[in-house]
Formats: sequence, C-alpha cells, structure tokens
Amino acid sequence: MDIIIPLFDAMSYVLILVLIALGLMIVFGMMGVINMAHGELFMIGAYVMVLIQSAGLPFVFGLVLAPIVVGFLGLIIETLLIRHIYLRPLDTILATWGLSIALKQGIVLVFGPEAQSVTSPLDATLVLGDFSYPMYRLIVMGISIALIAGTFWLFLKTDFGLMARAVIARPDTSAGLGINTRKLYRWSFVVGTALAGLAGALIAPTISVDPQMGLGYLIPGFLSILVGGAGPLAGVLVGGGAVGGTNSLLTVWISPVAAQIAVFILAILVIRLRPNGILGGKNEK
Amino acid sequence: MKNKLPLILTFAILAVLPLMVGDYWVSQFNYYLVYGLFALSLSLVWGYGGILCLGQAIFFGIGAYVMAVTTKGMISPILMNSYIGLLSAVIISAAFAALLGSFLFAGKGINGAYLAIVTLAIAIVLERLMSNWYALGGYNGLLDIPPLNLGAFGYSFELWDSLPTFYALWTIVFSVALSLSYLVRSDYGVLLTAIKTNPDRLAYFGFSILKLKLSVFCLSAAVAGLAGALFVTIDGFASPTLIGFTLSTEVLIWVAIGGKEILLAAFLGAIATRIAESWLSEIFGDYWILILGITFMASVVLLPKGLIATPLSNLSKKLGLKID
Amino acid sequence: MLEIQQLKAGYGEAMVLNDFTFTLPKGQITALMGRNGMGKTTLLKAIMGLIPVKSGQILLKGSPLENLPTYLISKSGIGYVPQGREVFDDFSVYENLRLAALGSSIKNLSLLPQIYDWFPILHERRNQKAGTFSGGQQQILAMARALMTRPEVLLLDEPTEGIQPNIVHEIGLKLSQIAEETELTILLVEQNVHMVKTMAEEILFMENGRLMASCSMAELNQDDALLHRYLTI
Repeated sequence: MDIIIPLFDAMSYVLILVLIALGLMIVFGMMGVINMAHGELFMIGAYVMVLIQSAGLPFVFGLVLAPIVVGFLGLIIETLLIRHIYLRPLDTILATWGLSIALKQGIVLVFGPEAQSVTSPLDATLVLGDFSYPMYRLIVMGISIALIAGTFWLFLKTDFGLMARAVIARPDTSAGLGINTRKLYRWSFVVGTALAGLAGALIAPTISVDPQMGLGYLIPGFLSILVGGAGPLAGVLVGGGAVGGTNSLLTVWISPVAAQIAVFILAILVIRLRPNGILGGKNEK
Repeated sequence: MKNKLPLILTFAILAVLPLMVGDYWVSQFNYYLVYGLFALSLSLVWGYGGILCLGQAIFFGIGAYVMAVTTKGMISPILMNSYIGLLSAVIISAAFAALLGSFLFAGKGINGAYLAIVTLAIAIVLERLMSNWYALGGYNGLLDIPPLNLGAFGYSFELWDSLPTFYALWTIVFSVALSLSYLVRSDYGVLLTAIKTNPDRLAYFGFSILKLKLSVFCLSAAVAGLAGALFVTIDGFASPTLIGFTLSTEVLIWVAIGGKEILLAAFLGAIATRIAESWLSEIFGDYWILILGITFMASVVLLPKGLIATPLSNLSKKLGLKID
Repeated sequence: MLEIQQLKAGYGEAMVLNDFTFTLPKGQITALMGRNGMGKTTLLKAIMGLIPVKSGQILLKGSPLENLPTYLISKSGIGYVPQGREVFDDFSVYENLRLAALGSSIKNLSLLPQIYDWFPILHERRNQKAGTFSGGQQQILAMARALMTRPEVLLLDEPTEGIQPNIVHEIGLKLSQIAEETELTILLVEQNVHMVKTMAEEILFMENGRLMASCSMAELNQDDALLHRYLTI
C-alpha cells in the first residue's frame, strides 16, 4: 500500500509534465524555437485561476478562460517576438529568456512576489478500502490523459496535423505546395501555449502558486524531451515518464534535493549514452 | 599593439577613476571589476568558443566557495592564504569544467541548444545542493570571509580598504583581460573560430574537437572561478545564489547586451548594465527588471551582436583595428 | 505565360542569376540546360520565392510574383518538383497527395482518380510510406504531388538524377502525354540529354546566371554544336 500513493503522485506529476513538454516540443519541432518562457505561460495559467477565485467566479470558468488567455498571449508573443527568430534555436533561447524575465516581473508587479493559493473545487476523497486519494487530483489526471490523447489526435489524425508534420519535416517543400507555413507556425505556437496555460490552471489547487514556479517545470520539461528522443510526440511520453517518475518517486523515498540531483544525473547519462534519447530515432533539428 | 589600444585605454581610464570619485564609487567599482572579469569568461566560451553556457555561475560559485573554505581555514589553517585560495579556486573550477565537459562534448556531443539547457539545469541543481549542504552554510552560506591578503610566509597585508583593493583587482583583471585578448588573436583563437563555425571541417584536419572545446570550456571556468574567488574577498559572504540560476542569467544578459564576440564589449556590457541597474532601479523600482527583460529581448532580436559591440566593431573597421 | 525579366538573384551578397530574361510560351515544354553551378536550380528557387529576388520581374500571365511568399506563388498556379524529390518519407502516397490538395484547394482531391490513372503504380502503393520507394518511384510521386495542385506551369529540377535510364524514358513520355492533355507549360531543368530529347520543344542554355542561347528541338537535332559548347560533352 505504501507504494500506491507515491505511484499515483508520480503519475499525476508525469501527466502534467508531459502536457508541458508536449507544448515545448510542438514549438521546437515546428519552428526550431526553444521557448524559455513556456514555464511562465504555465504559471500565468495558474494565476488566471487565482484571479477567477478572487473574483468569486466558478472554477470551471477558469479552466476555460486560462487556455484562452494564455493562448491569446501566445498569439501576441508569436507576432511580436517569435516570428523574427524562427529556426535560430540559440537566439530563441536568449530572446525567450528575456521574455520570461519580463513576464515573471509583470506578474510580480500585479500580484506581488508572495505565493498564492487556489482552493480546490472538490474536497472529496476517493476511498477504496485502505486506499484514499483526493478526488480532484484523480480528475486532473483524467483530464490530462484526455488532453494528451487529444493533442496526439490533432497531430496524427487531422488535416491540420498532417500539414503541421509536413512543415516540420520539409518546410520549403510544404510552402511549395501552397501551405501557409507562417499561419501554421502561429497556430501551433498558440496550441502549445494554450496547453501550458491549461496545465497551469488544472494544477493550481494542488501546488503553491508563485511567480517562480515556472522554472521548476520548464527544466524537467526540457529534460523529458532530451531523454525521450525520437519524434515530436512519442518521445515526450517516454521522457516525461522517465524524468517525472524518477523525480516524483525519489522525492518521496529519499528527499527532494536528492531526487533533483538523481534525475539530473540520470538525464545526463541517458543523453551521453544514447544521444538520440531512449527511443533513438532521427536527429533533431 | 595598436589593436590593444581600446582595451588599454579602458583600463587606463579605470586606473585613474578612484582619483576622481568618492569612496562609495570605488567600492562599487571593485564589484564591477569582478563582474567584468566574470563577463570575460562567458564571452570567451560563448562568443569565441561558440558554446552557450546558461549556467556560467556554476564556476563563479565554485570559485567563491573554494576561496571561502580555504581562506577561512575550514580545511586546514595552513591553507589560510589568499594566493592558495585563488589558485585552488581556479584549479577546482577548471577541474569541474573538465569533468562536465568530458560528458557534454564527448562522442557526437549534445547540440548547442540542448547543451545550454543542460548547463542551466546543472546550475539549478547545484544551487539546491549548496542550500542543503549544512557544512558549507546551507541556505545562509558562509560569512566573514577575509579580504585579500597580499602577504605570505607570516607577513600579512590585508586589503580592507576599497582603494588598495581596487588596484589589486585592477592589476589582476587587466592582466587576465590582456592575456585573453592576445590569446584570441593567436593561432589558438583561429582554432576557436573554426570550432565555432565548422567543427567537422576541423576534425578532417586532424584536430581533436573534444580537446579544443574542453580547453576553452576549462579556461573560461578558470576565469569565472577566479572572479568568484575575488568576489567573496570584497563581499565577505558566499551563498548558494552565487552558483545558481539568477547570477547565471545576469551574466548572460550583460554579455548579450554588451556583445559576446568582443571581449571588451562584454566587459563593458557588465559594467554598463550594473551601473544602469543601480541608477534605474532607484528611479523605476520594481519596474527595472521588466525594463531589463524587454531590453534584453530587443537587443537579441534587433542587435544580436550587442549594443556595445556593434558600434565598437564599426569603429574598429573604420580605424583599421582588430579590437578584442 | 511565364515571363522572366532581367532577374538578379542569389545567396547573400553573391549574385548567381544575372539579368536572366526569357518567356515561357503557354503549353510548351522548355528545357533549361547548363553545367553545374550555372544557376539553374537558383532560377527555379527564385521563381518559387525560396530565395530572395534582388531585382527584375517574374510575371505569371502578367501578374508579378517576385518576393511573394512561396505558398502564394504555389497557389497562383506554379507547381514545383524540387531536386532530390523531397517526398515526405513518413507519409503514405495518399498522404503526400492529400497534402498537395490541402495546400492548393481541397477540391483538388477530385483529381486523385486522374492521378492514379496516369500513374498506376501510385494507386497500387497508395498506402505505402514514400520513404520505402525507389528513386524512380519517388520521382513519380513528386511529380504527381505537384500535379495535384492543378498548376498552369510546372517546374522540374533535374527529375532524372539518379534514376535508371528506362524509367527516365517512361517518365519523359508520360510527362509529355500529360502536358498535351492538360496544356501544361513546363520548364525542365536537366542535364540528361536523352530526357530532353524525349520531351522538350525548345532548349535554353545557361551559363554564369545568364541565358546564352536557345534553339528549337528541330534545330538541335540537325546540329548539336550548342550542346557541346554549353555542356562540355
């Protein structure tokens, strides 16, 4: 029984991590942009919930509003900043780093640097014999799985996804067939950021919401991508599972610090021994 | 020699600065010299070596802690000597870089963007580690670190006042800056440019890419470690923030804004940004960080070579100089 | 149909095309020949907007195309079969073709039966991943894909490169047939003399980014001095 709860905690952390990593990967795979501000977009999603609650509006309203607000913010960011730096990964790291600083400080200026809390809409606990687990977390896990499945479906089964994957593989040839690559980049970025915003909103009641929370998800998100390797989608699942699972379980079994160090060493080892990630596959851009 | 004029001129101005400003500013400039040295280290590895390190404070912090531990006699009273402290800081930083680099650069190596993020992750992990390492002060760090002591063999000459400290720092920083400036224009510098632009070509000629990358990485770490060690002698205090993400970001901003591909520009970028910060943060308060972030973004997109480096390189073209 | 006027284009500071001028008449198959590095691929890329045009004009039925984004040039009616085929390896034949329809107009999906009719092998292997095909088959797919966009002008960059001779002949014949059926205007960049002789009605010779000479197929058959001069064969 001692292992079940940590396993569930690990699962819920992994699922959120995968959502974040998916958003990162979509943007990187499509336009070679490494968005260091992705964590802040996640954080802003959480702050939308803070606002919703302080305005006394229903929780679900926040879940709908967060991806819209963050997606809209993503649209502005793409138009003003990102589109000037496509396919220049190193420059994008710097530019989006500056963005993350600006966004963080923006939130501090509006909300202050202290941690905020968002109350869970459901106090219920699921009880099955000896096992009990907060209902809300279970629901979040369910929604995360649905979102991840939805994202996969979007990219693998729809025409949008077909075009997106074509542009990732061969941008010039796709343009030569009449595909508006710019529009695709823009909307892929919006999808990626909205995903982050929704993830932030979902997770808000379960953690402490503060302006610095983004980095703690950004780095594991990137490490998941590095560790998982292979194509834009499947690798993220594997990487997220490995990184998130290890982090979460070791946090409980040893300590948070040890977990972080261990995850990090694990990631370095995997990258060193299998430079294309656990799933191997083609080289990234 | 004439190529070094701008550098020499800069340091000449710095040399006479204390005669013109009050004591407060001299002590500020002590910090600026150290930060400038730190910026030089990042410019070397990034602008010249082509390796973007988002966690450069790792080496600064290691240098800082090593200096602290040595000169506070935490290992042994025999080692309570500034020279030993500085030397140890430099060596241990470089050694850590060698260890790290052998992982990151070996084989096909990790591509630049991922490498950058990995170095950031390391900085974050190390900061966490230091915060939990109680023997080294944990979250609060180490206090009462002694200032530079120019004496040896029983003779003691501690630099408590800012003025003599300034000239000691000036001497060290100028020597390093000048040496690096010659280094990047030497044959080694040519190899570095090759690594940056076309490493595979270089491999065909029989050069070991791994060794070259390691060398510049370690050299840069050594310089950063030196800066960190010097820092604690003027600040008296070593804490986990010196090894972590915040300081790594700061130096990145200084060098990006100043200009990574010209040593002098990076050096001046550090000083200019810090001066701007102390001035603007008084006027704008918390909005200063927002302004900094936006300036950083704008400079990356609009003037990727750097706000100081761009006019500097235009000037050097006009005057027929090769400024570094 | 397609007019190129004093086109200057290149990479960065270096100009590869220098005052290139000619007109493609409607419904004609024109071959562009020249040694490597003379600017043939650059010309096609410039027409498609894949490299910037420094000066000069590109007019499709009188409308200027220069410096439009590539996807709009494609939508205006220019099909492009790039050097090296560039099929989407991980997509099936059907997906490659569907993509072309998504780019041009989804109504073009109705062309699918016609495409399968012209190229039976594509119908046979419609669910197979393009990456598993041979060079010749990929070439057929690349051409079919471009044809799915219902172009008025088709640009082909060295379609026979790396393909065995008998397939080359087949492709040449098929393309001529399709061009006749659809009144397609074709610009064929080729090094392979046999392919050119199978298909082309007019031949242009390019050197150092300039148009040096042109002649009709009939003239070339009588005296192939131009071939020796500009292709060093």
